[in-house]
Amino acid sequence: MSWVQTLNFPFMQHALIAIFFAGIAFPIIGVFVLSLNLIPLRFAMMHVALLGGAIGLFLKVDPLLSGLLFCILSSMALGPISEKMKLGVGILSGYFMTLTLALAFILIYKADIHVLQAFNILWGNILSLSGLDLLFVIGISLIILSIVILFFKEIQAILYDREIALAVGLPEKFFYYLIIFMLGLTIAVSMRLIGALLIDAFVLLPAMAATLISRSLKQTFFFSSLFGLLSGMGGLYFSFVFDIPTSSTIILVASLIIAGCFLFGRGGIQS
Amino acid sequence: MHHSIELKDVYVCLGHVSVLEGVDIEAKPYEFISVVGANGAGKTTLLKVVNGTLRPFKGQVSVLGHDLFQFKNLDFLRRDIGLVPQKSNSNRFPILVEEAVLIGRYGKIGFMQRPKEVDWNKAYEAMKIAGISQFSKKLVHELSGGERQKVALARALAQEPSILLLDEPTTYLDSKSQSEIMETIHTIHHQRGLTTLLVSHDSRLVEQYSDKIYLLKEGKGYLIK
Repeated sequence: MSWVQTLNFPFMQHALIAIFFAGIAFPIIGVFVLSLNLIPLRFAMMHVALLGGAIGLFLKVDPLLSGLLFCILSSMALGPISEKMKLGVGILSGYFMTLTLALAFILIYKADIHVLQAFNILWGNILSLSGLDLLFVIGISLIILSIVILFFKEIQAILYDREIALAVGLPEKFFYYLIIFMLGLTIAVSMRLIGALLIDAFVLLPAMAATLISRSLKQTFFFSSLFGLLSGMGGLYFSFVFDIPTSSTIILVASLIIAGCFLFGRGGIQS
Repeated sequence: MHHSIELKDVYVCLGHVSVLEGVDIEAKPYEFISVVGANGAGKTTLLKVVNGTLRPFKGQVSVLGHDLFQFKNLDFLRRDIGLVPQKSNSNRFPILVEEAVLIGRYGKIGFMQRPKEVDWNKAYEAMKIAGISQFSKKLVHELSGGERQKVALARALAQEPSILLLDEPTTYLDSKSQSEIMETIHTIHHQRGLTTLLVSHDSRLVEQYSDKIYLLKEGKGYLIK
């Protein structure tokens, strides 16, 4: 069967539509993660999503829904708690990460969840997306893109320097929490697409590549979306051609793009 | 006429450490006030109290006639206070100098509004005053520490504030540049009719420019000029 013929199958159409939207929108969240140094937080949220997914399997509800719910709750709680306790988001993330991972493993072990189901949470499967999964991907992608377009200047100020954004009279906390909230949503949905362990394929890697060659935030958003789309579509295509797992192939393509940008680029956001 | 800045018997604790212990500071409109003190004396904390990002647990703080304890949200007031922080952003965030200066206008533009020509003009004017027009198309992280400090000053000016807060604005500069930037700040202070509050560890540097100088020592403020 040829690559073109597979496009007649609904599972392939779902995968293509999901990659199109997630490939464009999710790397924008990666730019937020890099600029605000939220790497520990996104790592914690990946594990929260994993716990949510495990609870979903245990309760026999859709793991995407339970993962999404847990990510929403944790993304709403982490920012304000860290502010209240005067702890860095990184420290709190470390706590959440280990706790949720331990709970997820206990649950998977005790509830006798089938090992393949558990692996599905870890690895995801972009070729088995339901209509509901697809709706979530499209909905969350459109939310992210709308927020970035409508509030570009506020987001630019906060990504540049939170202290400055506050000092010029912007509602810095509101937008910071909104960014964390969008990160939670993205991670929960990415878990279904590509799995908890490989979420960075869509979120972080295209953004890393974009920061290596961009001279403005608009360029960074544009290139991160372009690279997200290229690595998603390329990963899907090559996984079919070479008969290898799709998630891993997406990562490989994204990594090649980073290597290319590193050779021709100039640095990256992090100092 | 009310004071532009008035702190009465202000106490601030950071964690379990008492930083300010009954500080009184007053700045009338158009005054140039300097606060000097050693590192860790609480100078940056004092500026945070004035722009409302840190709330004292005791005392009175009035800025531009507003009692800061009366308001939960002080965004409206911060739009009228230009802040030049001590530490300029050192990450490699991709932003041109002109865009970084334009951020000073963002608080006044309103949600979901794009910067207009008038905002860009004010940003360019501020860059000219701060002497960084030639860098407008450069990335901020390509500049030296002193040049970044001027970007921060230009951003604060683009804001068209009534009060200018400066946190060790000469930290990254050599002695010649220190005098230059102090002259620039002083000129701007007079031209724009600002109330300026500058904190520095170097009392000799600020003496000739200041109407009043306070010394911050062991949590207390002493008027020394």
